[in-house]
Amino acid sequence: MTKTSRRIALACLSAGLMAMTALTGVAHAQSINLTYLIPSGADGVAVAEELVKSFEAANPDINIDIETRPGGSEGDNLVKTRLATSSMADIFRYNSGSLFQAINPAQFLVDLTNEPWQADVQASFKQVVTAPDGTVRGAPMGAAMGGGIYYNKAIYEELGLSVPKTWAEFMANNEKIKEAGKVAVIQTYGDTWTSQLFVLADYYNVSAKDPSFASRYTAGEAKFASDAAALRGFEKLQETHDAGLFNEDFGAATYDDGLRMVASGEGAHYPMLTFATTAIAASYPDMLDNVGFFAQPGDEADLNGLTVWMPDGLYIPNTTSNLDAAKKFVAFVASVEGCEAQTRAGGASGPYLVNGCTLPDDVPPAVSDMLPYFAEGGQNGPALEFLSPIKGPALEQITVEVGSGIRPAADGAALYDEDVRKQAQQLGLPGW
Amino acid sequence: MSFVRRYWLGAVAILASGVVFLVPFAFIILTTFKDQKQSALRDFSWPDGNHLWSNILEVVTTRNWMLLTAFINSTILTVASVTLLVIFAAMVGFVLQRRKTRFNGLIEFLILAGLMIPPAVVPTIWLLQGIGLFGKLHGMILIEVAYGLPFSIILYRAFIATIPRELDEAAIIDGARPFDVFFRVILPLLWPVTVTNIVVQSVAVFNDFTNPLYYLPGNANATVQLTLYNFQSQFQTSYNLLFTNIALITIPPLLVFLFFNRQIVAGMTAGAVKG
Repeated sequence: MTKTSRRIALACLSAGLMAMTALTGVAHAQSINLTYLIPSGADGVAVAEELVKSFEAANPDINIDIETRPGGSEGDNLVKTRLATSSMADIFRYNSGSLFQAINPAQFLVDLTNEPWQADVQASFKQVVTAPDGTVRGAPMGAAMGGGIYYNKAIYEELGLSVPKTWAEFMANNEKIKEAGKVAVIQTYGDTWTSQLFVLADYYNVSAKDPSFASRYTAGEAKFASDAAALRGFEKLQETHDAGLFNEDFGAATYDDGLRMVASGEGAHYPMLTFATTAIAASYPDMLDNVGFFAQPGDEADLNGLTVWMPDGLYIPNTTSNLDAAKKFVAFVASVEGCEAQTRAGGASGPYLVNGCTLPDDVPPAVSDMLPYFAEGGQNGPALEFLSPIKGPALEQITVEVGSGIRPAADGAALYDEDVRKQAQQLGLPGW
Repeated sequence: MSFVRRYWLGAVAILASGVVFLVPFAFIILTTFKDQKQSALRDFSWPDGNHLWSNILEVVTTRNWMLLTAFINSTILTVASVTLLVIFAAMVGFVLQRRKTRFNGLIEFLILAGLMIPPAVVPTIWLLQGIGLFGKLHGMILIEVAYGLPFSIILYRAFIATIPRELDEAAIIDGARPFDVFFRVILPLLWPVTVTNIVVQSVAVFNDFTNPLYYLPGNANATVQLTLYNFQSQFQTSYNLLFTNIALITIPPLLVFLFFNRQIVAGMTAGAVKG
């Protein structure tokens, strides 16, 4: 090969490299382009697509591109990185409550306190997207969730059982189910986070007995191990294990297995958050009517109520390219039309936190079972993680130990208090 | 009897590698034929009915044909960064091995540091933003080159040590300039280790997940590994679609390997007797 042809070949190679890399980037003409970052997953994407479609129909000059990110701790890292490097999407969906506090909202997010639509957002939600300086920085995205126990209605009918109001009734039901040769309580420690439900969903019962628990807990005065009401959550987990009520493969089964078992009647009870209703509807649509729901029973029937998890929030970072257009979209999601679009795409999984939003009449039983707790005279209250910034990261490991019979309840509660102490010190709270 | 005695170990090895490699692959293929409900069981069973075509259709068309964009992006990313890696690493390896200066120790330390110290995400993004390459494929290519360079340099340097210096000297006496010595004499002799580099680095770049996730935000920039998250999330996963996606993005590299297998193996053995 001659020298010139080699030069030409090199030039062609580098030109080719440049040309290939220049292929990216598509230009849209004359409309406002926004990006909207959501956690991945087919159900969430479907809801976001429906919201964007309805919004774009009403605002033809605004074009919204949906981006996805992983969930869990990988997603937390990504959100923090993109906020810190000013590369966040124009609107993003993220958890409310303690995770919202962890992204430093006062520094990175646009203040939405004085938006007109805030008037229709329920106060219970505003409280979980309020930055430490007292400004509201988010809008509700999705429906409120309850933490409690899914049950298989077919098994209840077959054995003539009724929905328990107290823990004693619940255990009595479990005994009958076990005698009938069925799995009474499903546990799925293959996904460790599912092990926490007995403890976390018990919080309404704790607060009913001891309304000041959350504030004393944050101040470092109340402990899980020494507060009798709070300890009950751990004890309930141990009792169900000691009574031998679990499925045989509870150590290896996964969340998906748990949903299948409770939907198909392989097990009677599955403690879980009610967002699972959407997942059951997607995977086992024909068994959805078999699944009912009740709040985790407490020790007294008249003090029983539902522990509520707030939905994610929708936030606008300070670095948004077009604040007015982004605010328009957030206002749309927090309106009645926004709720309707969400129901159209994902089905109803619980009550919305925007006044005036209603659910269709044909909601699945697991959702309609949840509504009385939100109706007038019903009892519900937020989970502890929305009332206090401290949630120990090792709770799921501890509850796996307690639920597997490796560690007694009191011991587990004491270990959790120690875990919580470390986190409170990291947050720099007084009293620890 | 002697036949059995001679070959039993080989037969066991083939059987073991068959189990390790083929069984998971069979599981992937079986799952691509299943529907959502059956795939959620995640068992090793024969699919009820053939849902392959509808699965493929859904995977390819999801999120506005994202998988096609991702394939284009991943191909560009892999080809461009491996090309640059091979050229630069071979050059550095050649100079580092042939020319002894007092900076060699420092350079070798820096190369080792590149291998040992994990790259920090936020400062890298800050730097990329400063030179206007953040969120662009060019920038991602440079990052992959930077992350892969130390390993490739070490491979090349060790190999160049086996090429006699007399070859360079003969070329120089014949009137070759430095670039000619490298491109016309040395680089062709490096083919075996170049093949190794191409295979190892292509696999690493094509399968990279975290770096594109952080450095290449945006749907237009998706790479194939990121499309897996379309079907998988913390609380709900469509295993049939997930495995169809895995199969679709595993097959192209597999085909490339099958077709170029002869060249790869030939390159490795041809180089072994040269020099």
